[in-house]
Amino acid sequence: MAPIFTPRADARLRLVLVVAALLAVLALALGYAWARSGSTWAVGKPAEQPIPFSHAIHAGQLGLDCGFCHSDAARGAGAGMPAGELCLGCHQRVWNVTAQFAPIQAAVDAGLATQWASVHRLPDHVRFHHAAHLAAGVTCATCHGAVETMPRTVRAETLSMGWCLDCHRDPQTRGLTPVGLGAQPYVHAGIEVPPLTRCTVCHK
Amino acid sequence: MSGGATRRDALRVMGASIALSALAGCDQPDEFGHPLHGRGRGVASEDAVFPTTLELDGLGRGVLVRTRGGHPIKVEGNPGHPGSLGASDVFLESAPLSLHAPERSRHALQRGRPAAPGAVRDAFAGLRGEGLRIVTGPLSSPTLRRLVAEALEASPGSVWHVHDPMADPASQAAALAAFGEAMEVLPDLRAARTVLCLGADPLGHGPAQLALARAWREGRPRLLVAEASPSLTGARADRRLALHPAEFEPLARAIAGELGVGGLVAGATHLAAASLATALREAGPGALVLAGRGQPAAVHAIAHAINAHLESSALRLISPPSGGGEAMAPLEEAMRAGEVSRLLLLDVNPAHDRAGFAAAMGRVAHSAHLGERVDETGRAAAWHLPLAHPLESWGDSRSFDGTPGIRQPVAPHPGGEVRGTVETLLALLDREGTGRDAVRDTWRTVWGEVDFEARWEEALEAGVAGEPAPAASLALRPDWDFPGSPFPPGLAAHFAPDPHLRAGAFAHEAWLQELPRPLTRLSWGNAALVAPETAARLGLAAGDEVELTLGGETLRAPVLPLAGQAVDCVTLPLGFGRRAGGPVGEGRGFHAAALRPADGAWVVPGLALRATGERIALIARESQPGLEPDTAKVVAPGERLPPFAYGSSLHQPWPYPGAAWAMAIDLDACIGCNACAIACQAENNVPVVGPADMARGRGLHWLRVERHDRPEDRSLFQPVPCMHCEKAPCEPVCPVNATVHDHEGLNAMVYPRCIGTRTCSNNCPYKVRRFNFEDHRRRVDTPARNPDVALRPRGVMEKCTYCTHRIQAARAEGRLDTVETACARACPTRAILFGDLNDPQSAVARARHDPRSYLMLEELGTRPRTSYLARVEEGGA
Repeated sequence: MAPIFTPRADARLRLVLVVAALLAVLALALGYAWARSGSTWAVGKPAEQPIPFSHAIHAGQLGLDCGFCHSDAARGAGAGMPAGELCLGCHQRVWNVTAQFAPIQAAVDAGLATQWASVHRLPDHVRFHHAAHLAAGVTCATCHGAVETMPRTVRAETLSMGWCLDCHRDPQTRGLTPVGLGAQPYVHAGIEVPPLTRCTVCHK
Repeated sequence: MSGGATRRDALRVMGASIALSALAGCDQPDEFGHPLHGRGRGVASEDAVFPTTLELDGLGRGVLVRTRGGHPIKVEGNPGHPGSLGASDVFLESAPLSLHAPERSRHALQRGRPAAPGAVRDAFAGLRGEGLRIVTGPLSSPTLRRLVAEALEASPGSVWHVHDPMADPASQAAALAAFGEAMEVLPDLRAARTVLCLGADPLGHGPAQLALARAWREGRPRLLVAEASPSLTGARADRRLALHPAEFEPLARAIAGELGVGGLVAGATHLAAASLATALREAGPGALVLAGRGQPAAVHAIAHAINAHLESSALRLISPPSGGGEAMAPLEEAMRAGEVSRLLLLDVNPAHDRAGFAAAMGRVAHSAHLGERVDETGRAAAWHLPLAHPLESWGDSRSFDGTPGIRQPVAPHPGGEVRGTVETLLALLDREGTGRDAVRDTWRTVWGEVDFEARWEEALEAGVAGEPAPAASLALRPDWDFPGSPFPPGLAAHFAPDPHLRAGAFAHEAWLQELPRPLTRLSWGNAALVAPETAARLGLAAGDEVELTLGGETLRAPVLPLAGQAVDCVTLPLGFGRRAGGPVGEGRGFHAAALRPADGAWVVPGLALRATGERIALIARESQPGLEPDTAKVVAPGERLPPFAYGSSLHQPWPYPGAAWAMAIDLDACIGCNACAIACQAENNVPVVGPADMARGRGLHWLRVERHDRPEDRSLFQPVPCMHCEKAPCEPVCPVNATVHDHEGLNAMVYPRCIGTRTCSNNCPYKVRRFNFEDHRRRVDTPARNPDVALRPRGVMEKCTYCTHRIQAARAEGRLDTVETACARACPTRAILFGDLNDPQSAVARARHDPRSYLMLEELGTRPRTSYLARVEEGGA
């Protein structure tokens, strides 16, 4: 009776196992790279806006303060998007290219809100409070990058939960002084819990 | 922490494989590029609160509407308005939901087809002219009353009719007989010591409920209630009698006789009269007798006479804020005779409420119906004109006590052919100008030109535009009594508004359809309510179909035996059986209004009832099975419950360095009105699951209001939110750590982590966790949703969060001492307290030391943060 396994069967099995292990490692590595890559989080990708607005001109060349258009940032949860009237207030006098401002003019005429496309929107279950971060000394650029250099506004950071936690775990390494909630550390089951990493701080 | 960092890095690498497997569930930047709304015109900031007024039965209640980015997301009571006093009810809370209802009319229809552009002008032209009949609901609005009067003047021979399915003609007739003019009794439950309710339901749903419930809570008069069908007032009564409709007049006469009231024409005897009369006599000027909807005029008159005899100081007489207008019966007759050629119906639905009205409308050449949706009347009318939502248009109204208020729009007007009631009357009068101009013109004549702008701004800012109506001091006429013919014994039909749908005006509100009714526990339908004795005699069980015959009309309906219902009295809840008006209301329950006589009587003798042998499935949510009945405790006055005894626990102790959030619910103040449950639904984007899933027990209400039986068929209501246990049984059993403890004692739910094993719900002794069997996000994600609360996908658990988003918002604004959950904010009797246990001065910390304070299922050692205050009753448990 001929043997069931040829002499090379064992070697082949070993090869298959080794290749499978290598593939698994490769898949993990690729997956890790994919999950951590900026493009997965839409970093550097501009969104289609109703008008070709340039932060590079307004915040860079003209030097307008962020709060000029995003006036709620210092006092509210949302930074606030400008009303159409604010744009047209200046642009009826300067650079009044009618065709370019048609979408905004239409919204203003209809008494509706101008629909800007969100670039930095966080998932639905995240609560982000602009004023709280500004009060704690976080600058606009920490999350939004150098918008004054962006002709088309893009995401500068991943804004992933891990990225947020980098700062929330230890604000002092970023040169920030913990205030309010962040200054109330406590110990549970022998572990010191960084106060800003508790779920309800950032999640609704 | 270098070791921790290494561990973290290792976890991060390990997490890559999890990232791979969980790609679908990850929060990808799927919201990238989604709209981010700039501010609308005139919107000062993203968050804005506007005071305005919303009406119920034509009477205004002041509200504060919270808007986000120009969209109303939540309605709360205006503390400065006497009609709400800062509280809200189920009707106010659901206003933003109907604003975005998909079935709302946007275009005018001519004979059911979209009208040609500009043709609406012809509709108004056809209405102008001789013999115009205008039908409105009860009108308290000064502007609408002025414009209706002007429209009547402009067309010779025109008549204004008021269609009010909730009206009580007998009470109006009795007031005329007793005082010589139309008067309304405003009870002062704060000043009263003993209140006898003869079928009256002051704590029940209605335009004055919020004010009356608050006054009852503060004054705590003794409530003696005689009623044919259980009501919220009967549930809270100190003494309750279930009486057949035929017994009310003899009882009232016997009490009046015992008290020696002058002018009583005919006496009578009743077993209960002596003790009730003694209780009233002892209260002296603190006594008050209230006769309710459905009582014969004689009972109303006797109530006036007893109040006058005892010189009761617990009431005020005012001229009715929404009086006037002709009755509907003559209009219907004239229509049937073909004498009406022009008919304008403003936001009323008589074709649903009156059996023969739709057929009579067929004989009217020019009929136009103004409504938010194509309802039964809209279908029967030649023209249907789309009505703007009250949150979109200008108007004004008076509250139950006559206090005026201006209604300002808080959402953008849809424009086009959509008009508010005021704007429609302006179009009928062929006037230029907006609704705002018309309202301002009205108040300009009231206030005068001097300082008008300042007063106008002040009225908009405060939500109140003047003083309550002055109290009339009228002497009782000597010939007040007019004995009617005695009510025959035997089966009687007792029509009653549904607690959530009224007479059908709220049938399109899915929240109100789905929330179980306080007493019957029914949702998505109604049932003929019979006494258990009557059901036993006829061999009927819950859900058995019967054929009801009254006045030649027949109707099929399921029966529900209800403890506390008077024997031989069948209560038929109105508001159901809609045949038009949108998918939410259509075809639910049975159309009780079809049996109602044309004179709008509430109680009719001679009902015949026959079992058909069929069954109709009722959707009822009974109290949570498995909860022991002593979860709701009752004490005698002055009785003390033992203080909490915390045993040892195997769980690690949690430190609560900052605040420790807690809730205390006073069962002695709760009236079971369900306002908290709807407020919670509105605040937390809680989806509607529909009748099929409700029947399977898959309702998602985060806060449920349980009902417990008390002696004399009274009820005890117990709101049950999440207990936020300090030793929460749900936390250690979760395999993925999706329910976690928070540093302030909140039991938080991490939706993206949840894999739906439902172990937490199994282990929760209070059964407050809800599971998403379906993905409801698409339907909830309207502009009316609360953007501060995340939507939950299919397959995850959800539950009460103690409104954690409100806590965070308060923290950001530096006002942590004033945090209120949505349920606490809505409660008319302030039965729900919320606050910080670490602050010994907070109301909730003080409530914990109240001798009535107890924890639900304390013996389990869960240390709930939600505590209860036991109900107080004579004799205790």
